[in-house]
Amino acid sequence: MKMEMSLESMNRYVSPINPAVFPHLTVVLLGIGIFFMAWFFVYEVTASKFTRDLFKELLVALVASVFMGFGVLFLLLWVGIYV
Amino acid sequence: MERLCLELLALSILLACCFGASPESVNGDLVIKKVENTIDLTTHLPKISSSIILENEGKAGVRSFLFAVDPTLSDTLSYIGAVAKSGDDDHKLKVTAAKVANNPKGKFFLIDLPSLLDQGKESTIDVETVYSHSLRPYPAEITQSEKQFVQFTGNSHFYSPYRIVSTTTTVNCASSNIESYTKNKPISTQDNSITYGAYENLQPFSQMVLPAAASDVYYRDEIGNISTSNLRELDDMVEVELRPRFPLFGGWKTHYTVGYNVPSYQYLYNSGDEYILRMRFVDHVYDDQVIDHAKVKIILPEGARNIQFKSPFPVQRDQDQLHFTYLDTIGRPVIIASKSDLVEQHIQDFELRYTFPKYMLLQEPLLVVGAFYLLFVMIIIYVRLDFSITRDEAREARLRIAGLVEQIQTIHDCRSALYQSYDDAINKFKNSKDATSFTSNRKKIDADYKQMTQQIAGLASKLKAENSDAAEKVTELQKLDAAVKDQVTMEVQCVERLIAGKMKKDQYVEMESNLKSKKEDLYQKMEALLSSL
Repeated sequence: MKMEMSLESMNRYVSPINPAVFPHLTVVLLGIGIFFMAWFFVYEVTASKFTRDLFKELLVALVASVFMGFGVLFLLLWVGIYV
Repeated sequence: MERLCLELLALSILLACCFGASPESVNGDLVIKKVENTIDLTTHLPKISSSIILENEGKAGVRSFLFAVDPTLSDTLSYIGAVAKSGDDDHKLKVTAAKVANNPKGKFFLIDLPSLLDQGKESTIDVETVYSHSLRPYPAEITQSEKQFVQFTGNSHFYSPYRIVSTTTTVNCASSNIESYTKNKPISTQDNSITYGAYENLQPFSQMVLPAAASDVYYRDEIGNISTSNLRELDDMVEVELRPRFPLFGGWKTHYTVGYNVPSYQYLYNSGDEYILRMRFVDHVYDDQVIDHAKVKIILPEGARNIQFKSPFPVQRDQDQLHFTYLDTIGRPVIIASKSDLVEQHIQDFELRYTFPKYMLLQEPLLVVGAFYLLFVMIIIYVRLDFSITRDEAREARLRIAGLVEQIQTIHDCRSALYQSYDDAINKFKNSKDATSFTSNRKKIDADYKQMTQQIAGLASKLKAENSDAAEKVTELQKLDAAVKDQVTMEVQCVERLIAGKMKKDQYVEMESNLKSKKEDLYQKMEALLSSL
């Protein structure tokens, strides 16, 4: 049996990301995310079926979704929706 | 008041006889030398504090004694606590519910003494009991202009299984406006002592004290925000003034919701994946509060396991539930604990232990990332779907040509960059006069150039197959490009001769400027051709 840890031996919980930087993180991440998303959409509507490159599309989409995903999460936390 | 106590002796002895020996036996050797009872009726929560001086007249040492709750009040008992007085120090004593065989219906508590009470020794114990709902509005219903009276029924003696030598009972009322009181002689009255009187029902407003870090406080009901409230942020607390929408008369009720956020570091402790939440079971709402029923729900993050709940007093644990909110998949575990009849003394910390793996923190952002990626993939699939009924050959051909032209333009842009590379290599050679590195550089550029020219030629043949006039323009472009390449070759020859000393400097400069202008001319022609494609 594992010994149960006492409260005294524990530290106060500190969140991995300081809530004070949520606004900055939101702006930076969403800024980059929107740039890649715009690139993706512009590419999708301008490329014809003879010029399209699936690999490039998937890569731009991945980068855009990673930045948008984290950006949206921090936006929710910033405005007080503690998801 | 002291005269009163002597009369109680007979009753006490009678009581002592009633309670015989049993599993939890009444020790006849214990004698209560003196009891000072104070019935505090200044608030709606009657508090009885009994200062008891116990003496052991027997031979054996005594470790604990029984405290009996008055039967008229036992149903309303909300809290019981005992402390031992020794000088200025208060030592909190263990109080456990007990059963006495001869009196199975009576409510008894076994109070542990701080130390073994030897023969002839004395000990002073303070017992505090709080009763909820023991004050009865009298009459139960009044009109708005009438005064609300209340009635309290209690014992002017001390209810105990032990022999009592002396009892004093003081009743403090909230006001000196006393309608009537039982005249158990001897008696004395002084302002609002030993009297029964009215008390103010719930005050027109009450104050709630929140932790200093509390933020985003809200106070609302079904209609919405109750704007009559006020919030004051003080150094060590946040004070909220809760004013109901209407004044509360006797027996009236109001319903509202108060909420606020507090930072987790004040209540949450962790070590690795182990977490402990330590928080108050109930918080202070207003002074002398009574909570008929409290239900505490604790929602833990998704993925929390090995949950253990430890409460400071016995509570009822309900079935755990799952709560679903934003970005939840398997649901957040909810711990539910409830307790009835809570008073201020119940404001104590509970402990909740759980395990929460760190990587679960990434679950929510990755869910959003996944949702975005899914959207993009759907778009990628959508643009590839063709819903047209007929195949438009002309449009197809046009698109194919446009695609080829775009590719040619891209490759040509790269090829133009190579002309610049030639110039750079030549300039470098003029300065360093290193023939071998120049040759190797030139060969590298030549290889790239050849490859691109071939690519364009391949695309041009495809264009020709499309029967497009753009093919002619590309052929023209290729010719212009070949001319540029010729100029570059001549330039290379000139510079080699210059370095080898077979050409004079001024002759070279003249040649170079001549070639440069020709090249510029060709570049312009190519640009014009490309934009017309």
